[in-house]
Amino acid sequence: MAAINWRTINIDALDPESAYNFDLSTLTPTIQPISTPDVQTLSGQIRQLLRGGNAEGALRGALENAPYGADEQGKVMPQALHTTLVTECLNQIRATEMSPLLQRIYQSDGGSELCDTLMKYLYKGMGQGAASHTSGNVHGGGGGRNLTPQATGGFTQAGGRSFGGGEGGMSVFLSWHEKLVEMVGPGSIVRVMSDRRTV
Amino acid sequence: MAAPEVHHLFHAPIADHSFSADRSTLAVARDNNVELYHRAGNAFKLQDELRGHDKTITGVDIAPRSGRIVTCSQDRNAYVWEPSQNGEWKPTLVLLRINRAATGVRWCPNETKFAVGSGARIIAVCYFEEENDWWVSKHIKKPLRSTVTSIAWHPNSVLLAAGSTDGHARVFSSFVKGIDERPEPSVWGERLPFNTVCGEYLNPTAGWVHDVAFSPSGDALAFCAHDSSVTIVYPSGPEQPPQAVISIATQLLPFASMLWSSETELVAAGYDCGVYRLSGDANGWQLTGTLEEKKERPGMTEQREESALNMFRSMDLKGRSGGAALDDTKLKTVHQNSINTVRAFQENGGQVRKISTGGVDGRVVVWNV
Repeated sequence: MAAINWRTINIDALDPESAYNFDLSTLTPTIQPISTPDVQTLSGQIRQLLRGGNAEGALRGALENAPYGADEQGKVMPQALHTTLVTECLNQIRATEMSPLLQRIYQSDGGSELCDTLMKYLYKGMGQGAASHTSGNVHGGGGGRNLTPQATGGFTQAGGRSFGGGEGGMSVFLSWHEKLVEMVGPGSIVRVMSDRRTV
Repeated sequence: MAAPEVHHLFHAPIADHSFSADRSTLAVARDNNVELYHRAGNAFKLQDELRGHDKTITGVDIAPRSGRIVTCSQDRNAYVWEPSQNGEWKPTLVLLRINRAATGVRWCPNETKFAVGSGARIIAVCYFEEENDWWVSKHIKKPLRSTVTSIAWHPNSVLLAAGSTDGHARVFSSFVKGIDERPEPSVWGERLPFNTVCGEYLNPTAGWVHDVAFSPSGDALAFCAHDSSVTIVYPSGPEQPPQAVISIATQLLPFASMLWSSETELVAAGYDCGVYRLSGDANGWQLTGTLEEKKERPGMTEQREESALNMFRSMDLKGRSGGAALDDTKLKTVHQNSINTVRAFQENGGQVRKISTGGVDGRVVVWNV
């Protein structure tokens, strides 16, 4: 007998009927591959809008062009880049403007889809915690600081924890989440969980 | 609109339920047994029990004309139960040849066949073979890539729709030589040998499909998926792209079951615990409302004016400021947990007038549509 450790043989690979031998990508929605330079160009354009004070347009653009098909190899992570970008947009928008802005997005063509995408980024942002927030401010420049919605310094749970850092951070995501769920209901949350096109 | 008729049978989930043709007998899947309830006045009384499966039963269906009951279970078996002379039910084992749990079963409209979905990525189409005096099964395997969650029959008893956890709803032919008449050509195809794939549809997020349903004419297919969406497909002809695929993303929790109440209306229910109505045609669909009554259910009165004394007393005793009259342990819907199955209860002139729903809360409710 040859020295094959039969306990470590992957028997699924030997069974032609097994799901292991099946390309799962055919089951997922088709997504357009997008190259890293394209994502970078795009984020440059959106940042331009943001600097021009058009936060709504920037957010809309960022959500419409979520790089699902970006390849995650190499040094630059296009997906992370885009998440940072969306976070910046969210940070630029005042708390009082959230609801009317979401209303406008939701009622526009394909608005439901955009809101689902925004929900994905909110969860992504909350999952990343402090890291994305910090990088968001670095890229966003000085302007972003004064415009964070919860600048009142009031007592929030998020502020008391390390990831909030007293600047909003998690609380920004949470207040966006609250406003968004008010409008699109739990359906959107379920869609984020079941969607194979992740951000 | 008359109030829904609520039958609270027991405190256990109802995986599936089915009424007999005269609606006097109700078969309910409860754990490893099927319980048969008989109508006595306004209530349903337990009459008989079908014992035989040794794991949770996942599907039960009563054939309207022959009265035969088919059950399937996670023990990978299906039984056909026939009434014998002395009033007892005689089970016949059906060889499904599957190595995972059966997930659901439905008789085809002409009652010569039934189909069983399974976790083995197989649909077993079963029919009776006279010469062997035995139910045999034929497998539909390709291109199923995951567990089959639901099965629905086309009115012609040949086409079969199946929803799967791989996110697809598919339409197959289950034509069995010697059992079936050659079907009339339809939008789904003309020549339909066994296992022909007549349609394969993916919902936008590839969430798994909970239920599929053919419209009364059989010319449209609807399916609901775990991304809280309902998709309606209008095929245009064999080998051609469908003329319309309409997908509506709802704000609710996902639907688990649905049926067409007419050619332009769907009734769906699921994890939101309520029953909802959708309507539309090939130009577009939308959620139009709920079957729940808006206000004044018994025991669900609006919050009364509270005196300050009552408020503080309640805060002291219960640690919350709600009054004693406020019962917040109850959902506002009739079902108190998610709904598993929606079935037609009464049809009239091609329109479903009444539906029945069975849920995790052990209730079977009959609704006016």
